[in-house]
Amino acid sequence: MLEVLTYPPVLRGFLILMIAGVTFPITGVYLLRMNLLPLRFMLMHGAILGGAIALSFHLNAFWTTIGVNLILVWFMSHSARSLGTDTGFISTFIMVASIGLAFVFIYVYDVPSKDAMGLLWGSLYTLTNVELWGGIILACIILLLQIIKRRQLKAFFFDPSIAFTSGVNESAIYYTVILLTAFTVALAMRLIGALLLDAIIILPALIAILQSKSHGKVILLSCLWGGIFSFLGFFIALWLKIPTSSAIALLATLVFLFFYIMSKMRK
Amino acid sequence: MDWSLVVKHNGEEIFTSRGKWLYPLFELEDVFKEKDYPRDELEAVEKVAGQAAAFLIVRLGIKKCHIKLISEKAIEVLERFEVNYTYDEKVPLIQCRTEHILNKDMSPDEAWQILRRRAGRVHGTDVSIEKLEVDLNREIIISGLDLEVSRGEGLIICGENGVGKTTLLKAILGLQPISAGTIKIGDLQVGSQIWNKNRHITGYVNQERVKGLFPVSASEVVEIGLAGRKLSRKVIRERVEAAMNRTGCLDLADRSFHKLSGGEKQRVSIARCLCQQARVLLFDEPTTFLDPKSREDLYELLLELWENEAPTIILVSHDDNWIDNFKWEVKELKGGKLC
Repeated sequence: MLEVLTYPPVLRGFLILMIAGVTFPITGVYLLRMNLLPLRFMLMHGAILGGAIALSFHLNAFWTTIGVNLILVWFMSHSARSLGTDTGFISTFIMVASIGLAFVFIYVYDVPSKDAMGLLWGSLYTLTNVELWGGIILACIILLLQIIKRRQLKAFFFDPSIAFTSGVNESAIYYTVILLTAFTVALAMRLIGALLLDAIIILPALIAILQSKSHGKVILLSCLWGGIFSFLGFFIALWLKIPTSSAIALLATLVFLFFYIMSKMRK
Repeated sequence: MDWSLVVKHNGEEIFTSRGKWLYPLFELEDVFKEKDYPRDELEAVEKVAGQAAAFLIVRLGIKKCHIKLISEKAIEVLERFEVNYTYDEKVPLIQCRTEHILNKDMSPDEAWQILRRRAGRVHGTDVSIEKLEVDLNREIIISGLDLEVSRGEGLIICGENGVGKTTLLKAILGLQPISAGTIKIGDLQVGSQIWNKNRHITGYVNQERVKGLFPVSASEVVEIGLAGRKLSRKVIRERVEAAMNRTGCLDLADRSFHKLSGGEKQRVSIARCLCQQARVLLFDEPTTFLDPKSREDLYELLLELWENEAPTIILVSHDDNWIDNFKWEVKELKGGKLC
């Protein structure tokens, strides 16, 4: 089974999957802690809009999608803070607006909608070198931020007001976390597809929450579970000849269900 | 003769001070914290003693003293507490405001509380607000509000729901933008650059409420008080332990914060403020959601904290029965002003 790793695209896919598996769940913890789950859906719609724009103007789909999503995330976070409203309201509005705009591009520029929607499925083995290095750099940034700013992040996630009174620049932390999350979601979409990105970002964090009493332990366990799901999911997929993303998602779901039932039984 | 206070033990000088006013006696208090002498074997020789010095001598447990210049009010205090005294010269009053501020029937502890605040031997700092105006969504909530709270003092702010009590606290914390006026914490004007670098001097304890079930341990919550400062892991651990020990919650360190009782959470939150070395503590409805036992525990902890560390405390509450326990000034927020 290991001989498939001698193929450069597969090896590249495996490496980035492992790197993402260990580091991306950290942003899953951020997403859950800040109650930013609607952000994922907004970014999926943003991906369709980005894809439609890229295909309409013959641009690089990956970078256009990331660019569009960053603009949407900036608009969402800025509006939510300045208007004092929940991010859910703004992201719902952006979802509707971006899908509407995407179909305008698809219609006006006669883009095959299948190609635009294809961006949602992801493809682990067709990553370019630029995307691979982009993923590695992003993983390093996530890890460094978590290590260097762990105390500030913890304070911010506990209560932004209290973090502020402790001297934390909570506004900078907020925007950094949002931006990092947007990049991570965009890259995870490219890896395993928008519909299954929860398996690599959210589920490891959810399982870690069920097992932990402290924030530090949540971060450590989510990274551990993310790594385990990526590693085992990759080989289970090869063994059962199913898509890698499906194997990871199914494995993560089974483990989550196990710990969920265990925690319910303990109560 | 340039000394102002000499203390002898069996004829041997163990303490000499050239300080002015009551400072030599406060210095002696610090010496006694380090080394415990048999107080009834000590003899103090003091240059001038009024009523305030007499109260401090009594509180220090000194049973024998000689005063060069003594006031009649001081004599009353020394006699009341059976201190063996002699003097060279007696006057009706010495030239000090404390002769009028203190009352001979006070307990030495009550007098000490007043005197240490006057001497600046408190952890708290002044809070000063001038002509404050705050509006929320174009509605004026606070208008022309003035407030002075001296260092180490306690103040209770009460008022109906929605009058702007929390808004006032948030303005003091710098969390709520203000339309006009100034807020000063000690010498630092809220919103200024120098304040921004020292925001930790104001600690905030909000209502105990379940805000989320995301795991965070009690010690992590206390550590949040130091999140804005660059400190070594060792120093952080020591400060967290000391603060939790101080508020009696060290045994809760590894427990999930969200699974603690309301009273335990408030202890942890106060430990967070102590860890942060806040000089002004703001409490926003701290008894909401607390059972009677936890309310009583919180009262005792706050009072003990106020008497010992003496931070400046501003407490917002409409729990009339609970706030009646504190003998602090009470102001009502009404029509955007404090009255």
